[in-house]
Amino acid sequence: MTTVQTALKKKGRKNGKRWTIHLFPIPALIIYSVFVLYPILAALTYSFYSFKGFSRESFVGFDNFVTLFTTEPYGSMFTNAFKHNLLYFGLQMIVMNGLAFILAFVIYKKVRGAEFFKIAFFLPRLLSVIVVGFLWKLILNPNFGTLNMLLGKLGLEELQRAWLGDPNTALISIILVNCWFGLGFGVLIFLAGFQSIPGELIEAAKLDGAKGMTMIRKIYLPLMIPSIMIMTVLTFIQSFEAFELVYAMQGSMGEPYYSTDTLAVFFYRLAFGSSTSGSSDAIGLGSALAAVLFFFILICTMIFLKFTNKKEVEM
Amino acid sequence: MRKMTKYLLLFLFAMLVTFVLAACSDNGNDSKADTDEGTSENGETASEEKVKLTIGSWRTEDVAKYEKVIALFNETNPDIQVEFNPTKNTEYNTVLNTSLQAGEGPDIFHLRPYAAGLKLAEAGFVEPISDINGLDQYSEDYLAASKGTDGEQYGVPLNISSTQFFYNKKIFEDQGLEVPTTWDEFIEVNEKLLDAGITPIAMGTKEGWLLSLTHGIVGAGVLDGNTFADKLVTGDKDFTDPAFVESIEAMNDLKKYFPANSEGLGMDDIRTLFAMEQAAMFPLGSWEIPVVNELNADLDYDFFPMPSKAGNQTVTTWVDGSFAINAKSKNKEAAKTFLEFLTTKEFGELFVDEFKMISAIPGITSDDKLLSELSKAVESNSTPYYWVINFVSGDPTTKTVLETELQGMYLGEVTPAEVAQKLQENAETSFEPFK
Repeated sequence: MTTVQTALKKKGRKNGKRWTIHLFPIPALIIYSVFVLYPILAALTYSFYSFKGFSRESFVGFDNFVTLFTTEPYGSMFTNAFKHNLLYFGLQMIVMNGLAFILAFVIYKKVRGAEFFKIAFFLPRLLSVIVVGFLWKLILNPNFGTLNMLLGKLGLEELQRAWLGDPNTALISIILVNCWFGLGFGVLIFLAGFQSIPGELIEAAKLDGAKGMTMIRKIYLPLMIPSIMIMTVLTFIQSFEAFELVYAMQGSMGEPYYSTDTLAVFFYRLAFGSSTSGSSDAIGLGSALAAVLFFFILICTMIFLKFTNKKEVEM
Repeated sequence: MRKMTKYLLLFLFAMLVTFVLAACSDNGNDSKADTDEGTSENGETASEEKVKLTIGSWRTEDVAKYEKVIALFNETNPDIQVEFNPTKNTEYNTVLNTSLQAGEGPDIFHLRPYAAGLKLAEAGFVEPISDINGLDQYSEDYLAASKGTDGEQYGVPLNISSTQFFYNKKIFEDQGLEVPTTWDEFIEVNEKLLDAGITPIAMGTKEGWLLSLTHGIVGAGVLDGNTFADKLVTGDKDFTDPAFVESIEAMNDLKKYFPANSEGLGMDDIRTLFAMEQAAMFPLGSWEIPVVNELNADLDYDFFPMPSKAGNQTVTTWVDGSFAINAKSKNKEAAKTFLEFLTTKEFGELFVDEFKMISAIPGITSDDKLLSELSKAVESNSTPYYWVINFVSGDPTTKTVLETELQGMYLGEVTPAEVAQKLQENAETSFEPFK
């Protein structure tokens, strides 16, 4: 190893050609620029133009953004969808990540059949989101679905309802389906976190007499901060980009009565028109919304990461 | 982790720089598509032996059926070769618009009805065809689907969509019910079914488009067909009119006849309920007939036109599509021959038999009894479906506002009067006679 390195160094010094190394990322960089950077930038550019169908008209500065936030119905649709995204994030943090954390801990503690449970929890993740949406639409169907049938059999008729048709339960139902879908991934991340805690540390704590809740509060939780942060950031991004499941289960109108609208669904409706209305004149507005969404997620993620760094330094 | 933040910032900065560059360099090249207007007119006298026509359409599912149409056409016109080249429904508009703007496109194309198709005519992409034979047989309402504001006809109407109530004949017989001919009888039928423990109307409010469709039917009953519709489209009446508000209230009152949990039911649910004989009536379009037949071939059902409060009966209709000629086509004469063929009875009969749709040509009968009867009803008493014909502009469109607000009404979020108010506000920004 060392001989190879010194040989390389010598050669490098001799020929003065070490800089050629920097040429090798160029192909990847070009692909990245064309397929990632350029589309993002194009969308940003579009947000400053007015559109007629697919043809770009004139530069309008920040008009699209102003319209998006102040003109009705866009303004109230935006705040409505934004609130739903917040709920999406909050509920997923509590239900999905909370449950995943507990399950990971139980599996980590080596219950019987831990391997089986690990796989069982992860299984839904292997299904396509569209399939998941379709399956749950069948389960939640008010008149033919298994959930209402089950409630009836248990004598809980008063709990039966049109889960996806009632604005009070529609969004929560979708979020819970998403929790079911994402649970296994959280379990894997948290389990990996638990398993990377050094055994000596736990042994030492035990020798010092720590047990039960003290063990969890003082040893496990602080050492799990990195995994918790990763899951928080990922859940945050996923919550604010929530689209597929809502679209699969409720369509592009955020039905019923915009009660399941999210920013991404709102964006889809703006930019491509809804399947029923046939209007698609708002690529500019859609791009403006995409830009707002992008920067919001970017800035929040950076704040999260900053926070994580501090935590790590403290430890 | 700290490094990561640094990279993120660097990435953001790089993007901003590129963005500014992109924004600066992207001016200039916007509108050069239509510079070579009319240069392709001179090749008209090319070899005369066999002319080749291409047809553009959004009906990718109908390729085999159009082959039969073309075969019938070639029996009388062997010199004209026709090729049917459809594009996927959702991409058709974009593909057609782009090729028309480039001075290309098929010789004949399927024209979207009303405002969407007429936009192309106004832009000069469609050849006026007022002089072709056979147009005089169509009703004014159907011609209007492709008639420009300049009075020129731009398309031959192809098929009619109609909406009405379908009903289960067996359930009606078992309950000793007659087909309602007045609004009061209609309500009575609903009440009797409800008393007998049968769901009267298979309807769900989860999908918005079902609501505008149902208003098209029920509204025509409350507002007595054309009586109100005619005044609405000229701007003499508007959505705040008490009669219109009453039509929304009537929609609200029908909810008690819907199945349990109707707020969670969509198209598939209600179709299943009707086809499996779990509901007696089904307010929907003519295009549902083949689908219902497929679900339950033994279902004994018929339709009835909507009975109105004034004692009339009406079916709500609109033109679903027309065929038009490309203004830049090199074979306009041959294309006109084909369009004239589309106005013949022979074509109309083939169309109804093969496509299972209602032809815009009057007097066509079919072996399919239900379809034949429906065609007759459409000819004798129809109300234009103004949500599709007149109210598809604005953002969101007035039709979309109707759909979401009706949904809100069924969920108890808004009152019928508020629905009417919101419609009015939206239409005032987009519907010409209201401005």
